[in-house]
Amino acid sequence: MSGPGGTPAPRGRRLALQQLRLHLRPRLRTRGAVPALPGGQPSSPPRVARSLLSLSLALAVAYAALAGGLAYWQVVQAQALTADPLNPLSLAAARAAPRGTIYDVNGVVLARNVRGPDGERLRQYDYPYTAPVIGYSSTVFGTAALERAYDAQLTGLVSLRPGDELLRKFRGQPYDPSDLHLSLDINLERIAVDLLGDQKGAVVAIEPATGRILALVSSPTYNPNRVVDPDGGRRYMASLQARDDSPLLDRATQGLYVPGSVFKIVTAIAGLGSGAISPQTTYPDQPAEYDAGFLVDGFRVHDFPRGVQTDHPLDFYEATEVSSNIWFAHAGLDIGAANLESWAVRLGFGARIPVDLPSSPSQITGGGGPLDGFRDRVELANAAYGQAEVLVTPLQMVLVAATIANNGVLMRPTLVDRLTASDGSVTPLEPQAWSQVCSYDTAQIIGDAMRLAVEGEYGRAFAGAAKVPGVPTAGKSGTAELGGDAAPHSWFIGYAPADAPRIAVAVIVEGGGAGAQRAVPLAGRLMSAYLGVQR
Amino acid sequence: MSRALYRAGIRPHLRWRELGLLAVVGVSLVVGWASLESFRTGELGLGNASLLTVYLIALALIHVAFVVTGRRMDEILFPTAAMLAGISLLLMNRLPQDLVTQSIAGRELPLGPLQLAWILVGFSLLAAIAIFVRSDGWLRRYKYTWAAAGIALLLLVFVFGDVVGGARLTLRIGPISGQPSELLKVILVVFLAGYLAENRALLASGSTRMRGFTLPPLPYLLPMLAMWGLALAIVIVQRDLGAALLYFLVFLALLYVATRRISYVVLGVLLFLAGGAVLYVLFTHVQDRINIWIDPFADPQGAGYQVIRALYAYGRGGILGTGLGAGLPSVGDVPSIPAIHTDFVFAALAEELGMLGALALLGLYLVIAQRGFRIAATAADDFRALLATGLTLVIVVQAAIIAGGNLRVLPLTGVTLPFISYGGSSLLVNGAVVGLLLALSDRAVEAPPPGARANVIRRAAQRARQVGGRVEEALS
Repeated sequence: MSGPGGTPAPRGRRLALQQLRLHLRPRLRTRGAVPALPGGQPSSPPRVARSLLSLSLALAVAYAALAGGLAYWQVVQAQALTADPLNPLSLAAARAAPRGTIYDVNGVVLARNVRGPDGERLRQYDYPYTAPVIGYSSTVFGTAALERAYDAQLTGLVSLRPGDELLRKFRGQPYDPSDLHLSLDINLERIAVDLLGDQKGAVVAIEPATGRILALVSSPTYNPNRVVDPDGGRRYMASLQARDDSPLLDRATQGLYVPGSVFKIVTAIAGLGSGAISPQTTYPDQPAEYDAGFLVDGFRVHDFPRGVQTDHPLDFYEATEVSSNIWFAHAGLDIGAANLESWAVRLGFGARIPVDLPSSPSQITGGGGPLDGFRDRVELANAAYGQAEVLVTPLQMVLVAATIANNGVLMRPTLVDRLTASDGSVTPLEPQAWSQVCSYDTAQIIGDAMRLAVEGEYGRAFAGAAKVPGVPTAGKSGTAELGGDAAPHSWFIGYAPADAPRIAVAVIVEGGGAGAQRAVPLAGRLMSAYLGVQR
Repeated sequence: MSRALYRAGIRPHLRWRELGLLAVVGVSLVVGWASLESFRTGELGLGNASLLTVYLIALALIHVAFVVTGRRMDEILFPTAAMLAGISLLLMNRLPQDLVTQSIAGRELPLGPLQLAWILVGFSLLAAIAIFVRSDGWLRRYKYTWAAAGIALLLLVFVFGDVVGGARLTLRIGPISGQPSELLKVILVVFLAGYLAENRALLASGSTRMRGFTLPPLPYLLPMLAMWGLALAIVIVQRDLGAALLYFLVFLALLYVATRRISYVVLGVLLFLAGGAVLYVLFTHVQDRINIWIDPFADPQGAGYQVIRALYAYGRGGILGTGLGAGLPSVGDVPSIPAIHTDFVFAALAEELGMLGALALLGLYLVIAQRGFRIAATAADDFRALLATGLTLVIVVQAAIIAGGNLRVLPLTGVTLPFISYGGSSLLVNGAVVGLLLALSDRAVEAPPPGARANVIRRAAQRARQVGGRVEEALS
């Protein structure tokens, strides 16, 4: 820059400065009708014009930053801020307009508004066992589950109609509550609840081709009508929190369980997908190890004595059918920790599953070990058949079954089919592919093995009860050993019909013993009911 | 009548532009009031519009006073300030009225009427200064006296100030209490304008260059260090980050206008950053401010509460806003943001007027900036130019600091939004600032004779050249 005695300004800038002076100075001369200073000509104005120009630019930049801040919060982030569950706006909206209704897939009302004793609006849930899905909306405790995820739509803070955010201020009623239409089938839900009875556990049923959740049950659960009760709500909530069987926990999406043999399907996807194993892979030592156990670095992997041992080494189909821990331990070591990890991640392990309910990430290892997170080969070998530190949610496992059923494509799990506004406009939520987990061929091979596991000569002994009469059925049972004297968890994942799957399920009964005892027949009855087959 | 005025030396001068703009302000405010009342009652009407009526009459009276006294001042500044204060009146009348109550002359005044009273006092001061200040000698001659008064004021606050909301800002003398930091900013500008204008001539002779780096000569270096120390002291003792930032920014801007040396500004900013870093390490109240700024959601029910609530307000406002009265500064009678009438007025307005309204609000401050800089650019001499620049900046920069704090562009500090926030000190001082700007825009306002001044400058420059020559010789 040029100081008062410095070099002259470049020509272009000098021109601009002259123009500025022309803009500023003539007014002095033409308007200076009043001689400004006593006893003389008006002195020439001080040379601050150029500094002021720079200062104006700096100020313009500062105010542009403020405008940018306004645009960021009021346009870019506006909807996210409005829908934030902590936003007190939802309380105000709840007072101003009735909350939207929640329907099941057949239009059965699951959540509606009633008037409380003092005339205030209360939420009523006619099927309280849907609590893990629907949650509650309470003036005291806020919202949970779908009532929380879609709070902004149900209260009408977020509108479905395009451009409505701009126009709502011109309407008398600023809120436009939407109704939710779920993929949940209350009949199937009720059957699952009845089948589970007072056992602890969870059931998730899903449509493999779309990811639509058909039923989601967690037991024990709570009664949302008592939570929203203005009189007894606090006492009831306190009693729920005091119980040690965690009725507020949604076991289907947040319960972390040892999976046992149902995890072998994940190992199979990793092995076949990566090419580390083939359907014909056999381990020559395996028949001998049936009695003595497979020795991995000082730890013996055992198969349960089931009386279905053959004299020849098992291939993949047979190993799945008879659920050989030894075979899968061998396979796991061949596959390696890195492969197992990366293929599990494709299935959704290691991160929160993107579903409208709070969910916990499933894991194949506690992590931190030198072997790609695994402590050693022992842990890897045990993880390959679903023990060690593998922990999964039932939702994660139903996605594993659904991926095989859907030819290797994992669909994003959804609960809401569509939202409808008061003016009848409908916003459908289309099914979305989440990831291509494995190839069509890999999925076919694993599907065939899962069918053997239910219908095969040996498989029938474990999971035959899952068979839907007259319908080809695929699946895998599991018995999750918990160590010590604790009764194992009873697991089943599977789908039917095997050739054109319409339903995939994951069932866990806590402490239910072997898979065959509890989870398998439950899954069979559930799938039969959904497919309309009498047993 | 008119003849009597003429004989008394008063020649009325019509101010059409001001009248037109005031008409626009009046119509806007009436529409705003109607919108507010209609929302409140559910039917179209003005309700009880006595506050608005009083305000509009006051505006008209001030305009008439300007016309009758024949002042040839800027015609845009006053309507702009009137618009801002009018918006404030609408907002304060709309907020829960018991946020602030004060009993004056035995009557309990709630927020709306109280704010109107302060606006009227502030605008009376504005008009009085604009009309009756006919010379700037009293400002330019006694700059060190002003500086001493300012420091005395600051020390009084340091020693006797009441702590309100974590900051030691309020001085209470008997029944009267006020925030001297508002007054101090004007005193600071007056002193700096006088000081820099006097020393500007010295610089014309050149400065000391050392190995390619131009160190500010002592007349600039010393005040820079002093200002820096003052800002740090205010942060430490008063815990008033906003005022410290405002003072220092205004000082740097004035220094730049006086010297046109960007290197001084860079040096000042570096000093400020270094000081800020040290303060951050040493003082928890500084850390808290910065941490809330970076992540308010870390403690949504505690420290980050107000900032998050403000963000929600922006989200709800959207582009067009909820409309006056339809926002949610309060759920029921509980304000959702406790400081909605002071620190967070900008957020409240952005919710109800939307992004477009908030942009218009920022635009009004830029209008003040344009008018103020214009007055500075056409001023008769350096002192007036610097004074006008500084007075403009205290309004415009302060507005940017608090709006930036509201928008999470800057850490939140507790300065007021000029003419909008509730508060007597702020309205009085900002009224005085605009009044002074108006007076400065009147070319008839007397400055000291240029002859004497020019001689002083010439002699000073000569002396500086001699000194500079000797330094050059010594160095070579």
